[in-house]
Amino acid sequence: MSDSLLLLSLVALPFLGALAASLLATHARNAAAYLAGGVALAGLALVWTAYPTISQGGVLRAEFAWVPQLGLNFVLRMDGLAWLFAGMVTGIGALVVVYARYYMSTEDPVPRFFAFLLAFMGAMCGLVLSGNLIQLAFFWEMTSLFSFLLIGYWHHTQAARDGARIALTVTATGGLCLFAGLLLIGHIVGSHDLDVVLASGDAIRNHPLYLPALVLVLLGALTKSAQFPFHFWLPHAMAAPTPVSAYLHSATLVKVGLFLMVRLWPVMAGTDAWFWIVGTAGLITLLVGAYVAIFQHDLKGLLAYSTISHLGLITLLLGLNSHLALVAAIFHILNHATFKASLFMAAGIIDHESGTRDIRRLSGLNRTMPFTGRLALVAAAAMAGVPLLNGFISKEMFFEEALSADGLLVLPLVAMLASAFSVTYSLRFIHGTFFGPDPQDLPRQPHEPPAWMRFPVEILVLGCIFVGVLPAATVGPFLDLAARSVLGEATPYYSLAVWHGVNLPLVMSMIALGGGVVLYMALQKHLRSGIEGPPLIRRLEGRRIFERALVFLSWRLARRLEGVLGTRRLQQQLRMVLLLALAAGGFAAWHRGVGPGNLVPQGVDPVIALVWVVGAACALGAAWQAKFHRFAAIMLLGGAGLVVCITFVWFSAPDLALTQLLVEVVTTVLLVLGLRWLPKRMDKPGATGVEVVTISRRLRDLAIAIAAGLGMAALAFAVMTRTPPDLLAQHFLARAYTEGGGTNVVNVILVDFRAFDTLGEIFVLGAVALTVFALLRRFRPAPESVEVPEQQRDQSARDAERPDRRDGDTVADWLLVPSVLTRLLFPVICILAVHLLLRGHDQPGGGFAAGLVASIAIILQYMIGGAAWTEEKLRVLPLRWMGTGLLLAGGVGLASLFFGMPFLTTYFAYADLPWIGRVPTASALLFDIGVFALVVGATVLMLIALAHQSVRGHRAERRAETAPRALVPGED
Amino acid sequence: MNWTLALPELVLALSGLAILVAGVLPRRDMTFPCTMMVLGAFLLSGAFVLTQPDGMGFGGQYISDAFARFMKVLVLAGAALALLLALDWNRAEGLSRFEYPVLVLFATLGMMVMISANDLMSLYLGLELLSLPLYVMAAFHRDNARSSEAGLKYFVLGALSSGLMLYGMSLVYGFAGTTNFAQLAQVLGGTAPISAGVVVGIVFIITGLCFKVAAVPFHMWTPDVYEGAPTSVVAYFATATKVGAIAAIVRVLAGPFGGAVDQWQQVIVLASIASMILGAFAAIGQTNIKRLMAYSWISHTGFVLMGLAVGTEAGLRGVLIYTPIYLMMSLGAFSVLVAMRRNGHAVENIQDLAGLGRTDPAMALGMAIFMFAMAGIPPLSGFFAKLYVLLPAVEAGFWLMAVVAVLSSVVSAYYYLRVVKVMYFDASTGALDARPSGVSFVLAGTGLFTMFFFLMPAPLLAAARQAVAALIG
Repeated sequence: MSDSLLLLSLVALPFLGALAASLLATHARNAAAYLAGGVALAGLALVWTAYPTISQGGVLRAEFAWVPQLGLNFVLRMDGLAWLFAGMVTGIGALVVVYARYYMSTEDPVPRFFAFLLAFMGAMCGLVLSGNLIQLAFFWEMTSLFSFLLIGYWHHTQAARDGARIALTVTATGGLCLFAGLLLIGHIVGSHDLDVVLASGDAIRNHPLYLPALVLVLLGALTKSAQFPFHFWLPHAMAAPTPVSAYLHSATLVKVGLFLMVRLWPVMAGTDAWFWIVGTAGLITLLVGAYVAIFQHDLKGLLAYSTISHLGLITLLLGLNSHLALVAAIFHILNHATFKASLFMAAGIIDHESGTRDIRRLSGLNRTMPFTGRLALVAAAAMAGVPLLNGFISKEMFFEEALSADGLLVLPLVAMLASAFSVTYSLRFIHGTFFGPDPQDLPRQPHEPPAWMRFPVEILVLGCIFVGVLPAATVGPFLDLAARSVLGEATPYYSLAVWHGVNLPLVMSMIALGGGVVLYMALQKHLRSGIEGPPLIRRLEGRRIFERALVFLSWRLARRLEGVLGTRRLQQQLRMVLLLALAAGGFAAWHRGVGPGNLVPQGVDPVIALVWVVGAACALGAAWQAKFHRFAAIMLLGGAGLVVCITFVWFSAPDLALTQLLVEVVTTVLLVLGLRWLPKRMDKPGATGVEVVTISRRLRDLAIAIAAGLGMAALAFAVMTRTPPDLLAQHFLARAYTEGGGTNVVNVILVDFRAFDTLGEIFVLGAVALTVFALLRRFRPAPESVEVPEQQRDQSARDAERPDRRDGDTVADWLLVPSVLTRLLFPVICILAVHLLLRGHDQPGGGFAAGLVASIAIILQYMIGGAAWTEEKLRVLPLRWMGTGLLLAGGVGLASLFFGMPFLTTYFAYADLPWIGRVPTASALLFDIGVFALVVGATVLMLIALAHQSVRGHRAERRAETAPRALVPGED
Repeated sequence: MNWTLALPELVLALSGLAILVAGVLPRRDMTFPCTMMVLGAFLLSGAFVLTQPDGMGFGGQYISDAFARFMKVLVLAGAALALLLALDWNRAEGLSRFEYPVLVLFATLGMMVMISANDLMSLYLGLELLSLPLYVMAAFHRDNARSSEAGLKYFVLGALSSGLMLYGMSLVYGFAGTTNFAQLAQVLGGTAPISAGVVVGIVFIITGLCFKVAAVPFHMWTPDVYEGAPTSVVAYFATATKVGAIAAIVRVLAGPFGGAVDQWQQVIVLASIASMILGAFAAIGQTNIKRLMAYSWISHTGFVLMGLAVGTEAGLRGVLIYTPIYLMMSLGAFSVLVAMRRNGHAVENIQDLAGLGRTDPAMALGMAIFMFAMAGIPPLSGFFAKLYVLLPAVEAGFWLMAVVAVLSSVVSAYYYLRVVKVMYFDASTGALDARPSGVSFVLAGTGLFTMFFFLMPAPLLAAARQAVAALIG
């Protein structure tokens, strides 16, 4: 079989199996178990077929294109270490499948369980066989994910959900750190390929980014391998079904962190930073885990903490920066997997057969399940490090390394202490469960499990014994392969033997054994009392700190930040945007030094300066009044607008000034009409609350406004004092008369050069007018603004008081003098409009301005005389005006096509009219008339729509009098 | 005048007018036929986009290149799917009006103009054509105070930012003497120092664009508008319009202002970092899932801007890969949000998803996929999106930004996972109503894409590479 096929199927097979298992029916227990077992055995067989190559020191390697654009290939790579781990994953996997078949209850959806388990197995295989760092991180997260799903398998229980959540949070966060660390390594090395990375150890260790990379990678490894202070997720993960605990939390998942440290050992280890971080974490974990394990009452809890402690031991070994210690670490990974998996399975059997895992309730099970008891006894002895079992040999190696680490007396002492603790908890596991009086009121009557359920335990325990008695003959070659694949030529000489003579490690072992027994006896009373948690550090519970930190981070901190940084108020958001824009623009200008340009500004005439002072005062007043006196604000705004008009005149732009003036008038009128329907503002400044706050707030806003205004002015100044680039203005000025036949350049641009744009604009204007009309036609004033205005009410009240006046007399006589004047002015204004229209091509004026003037004439009538009176006397048909205007403007344009010229070409000539004389005429005048008609129509249409609101208001009021709340829809 | 080049836009504009008439004339509810017609118009326009040749039209105002085609296809797809989601939601909410699809059409048209803009003027034209329908849509549920408030806020702030942008454009024009992108690139790409006025102008333009993509510190409208506007509208806001906004900022900064990269790079880096941090932290405290999605977008903006800030070809490619992946994730997530309805009433709290894992496993699975993907957990598509912007940042030496990106992605994983936790681990408070078929369709499509993107990333990568090549030239 080719290498690539072998490696690929080793990774893909479990995933395919998982897919198949997930498709099985919920009750297909046997089928799922056979499938999973078959896959695991096939995986083991595949691993075994690779042995000949691996044993020669060869490396299997397979590459597949993955993301070629990034130079990322999917690389599978199997050397001795990967081979050993792959064997462990598939081998123990097969045993766990057999065990789980009998462990899982008939009510559980077993195929799902096996699907998760197989997928996890696939992720593990992918992880250990990864030949590239990115891929490694990818499978790393995948193992976290499937472990989450497996822990949460019994998702109907709160403990399982919490356990799964905590495990995922801790390990996935670690995984992200790891990812960052691996990226850093990839950056340092310049490649993500594992072979390249492993060959550049010196480059990594001497790089300035070594420390961040190391810390990030170790965060990943230490969280995954449940090292202090991240150890707390593992005990909570015990809510998982026991096969999961046996598989993930003793043999495989938690070893992944160790695997990574071993894998990167040649390139990352050997520095002081490595020694202190890894060594310290391992040392603390070793001791604390063992100490806490003694005081656990739950069998699985005890095993979980003992696992933490043993993982700490291995981490400590890795941290010692010694080659022999590395060999010992790999050896202990194997040994621990063997005895801890069997112990978990034994605990599961006890739980399964007796219904409880609480040591305080269990005792004397040796009589009802003797065979299981003996198996557990052997496994626990291996855990305690009793001679002739595998745990003993690796512990001897550990002691030896602890002694040879330079000059640190603390290390052997802690090693011995932790070893004594491990004897104590092993004793507690065995003695508390299997010995003592017969158990009282257990949930179930204990008995031996089915033979096949015990079978995996038997295999593993046999392994413990064989390795313990004949280490060199059994595990020796495999261990050598793994160590050699990591250390290469540097692999030290070591001896795997049971008996090395009477030396210091042996003495330490004996002291630990004895001490452990004595400690167990001494603690009997305390343990019987059944107090939860270990003494001294009971309050130091990782989970509680974790949850509290999470609540702070996840809720309080975030809320506070949002409260400080965010707001839902529009005003504040506007203020923010303005200030930021001001700051950004100001900074850019200051930073780059925008100053006045090359043109020297002319002196300021005192007259125009005075006018501007008036304008500025008006603008300030408008801003000041805007909040409480809208009407006054609008008037002042009009004043500011007038000053702009005067400025235009001052700088010889009469046309612009005229247009601006008319626009100013029309918009003011429209605004005032609209104001009628806004609810009246009742609160006056100072009427309620402290005025100081209001005033200071407004002063701040004023400051912002002034700053923004000054900024704009400064930029405008900077632009205007520079020689303008070659703009279109020159072009228009030069050709207005020769090609457009007019001396009013603005008008020529509008009706000739840019007539197409103007045509488009009047279309838009027409559409806007129609839209405003359509919207206002269905408009219903708010109930609070329906009633007659205050002034009219006062007048009516006075009418009612006087016997000689009837109701409505004063309103009818309203503004008598102005109304007479405006009626007289109406024809005058109309003539002015025509005048402006006709002279527009050469002098200030034009269709747009004329249209506005005409509409002002009509607006005045509406305002002074009232809608009813005006419409009685004056019939304006805005739609016809608009239609005529559009047709005329379009038609003039089309007419030029008729003469074989492009659309909207102008013809101009001088005509001799009787009495008047020689008059310039241009076809553009017709176009302008179209514009005029449309502007009149559109403005009047909007006006009518607004004016009719007042009529409707009265009507609504009358209706409200007859039938309360009769604001019925439907147009009158 | 090479107007046939703009065939996709012309087709869309004319069909929009025709559909408007078709909606008004019959005296019955035309929402469904209009929606279908708009979808048809999108399809037709999309076909034209795919066959669009390279070139320039309308006196250099309009450009058609691989970048434009890439983004336009995304915009059209996003708009079509969001419209599909809106159909059921609007009907259930009593908002069935034929104007809605037409507004979507015109907004989409605005985006297409914006994407194809080769001049500051056509850019602004497209931007406003996009914004105006959006203001209306935000207030589409006009009897609802929150919706009206959202519309008003969006309008006022949007108008302000548009004004700033326009001001910036006029400054650029005043100092550089042109608004054409190609000429601007020439002026700014030369050896002569860039005039300070242009820099100030660029700053204002960036301010406006940052408002549109909701980058910190111009993000504040996003949560409010998302929360207030109808969910169907937000589904459109959060998907198609984001693509348009990204396209605009990329087109402007990498195109005409690409030569002035030193001037704006720091600004974008700052905005990116601030967006990532704020998006990650502010989202944590949210209970309303629409607000959560708003902050989630702000955080994604940070990632998009990261690719842009790097400014290299790889960085821009990262942005272009991020965009479709985000589009799909977001559409999928919003399909779930749109389906959140209990006893006929729309619900929008995260807690309302409780127990979805049991009451509607398929939808819960979909949502879980989208949440995991948004958190950037491999092998889902979101992971690759983040990877493709992170790697260029690392390679170009933007360490601070890269580290902030990874950390903020860890923080944001928390709130995404909280949604998953609520769905699978919390006790149900009652099943949601049956989901409409449109939701199922979008959910399945986007879910499959998000899940299996890693199997076939090559076509997208190739398209993105082409688009970037067209952009950088």
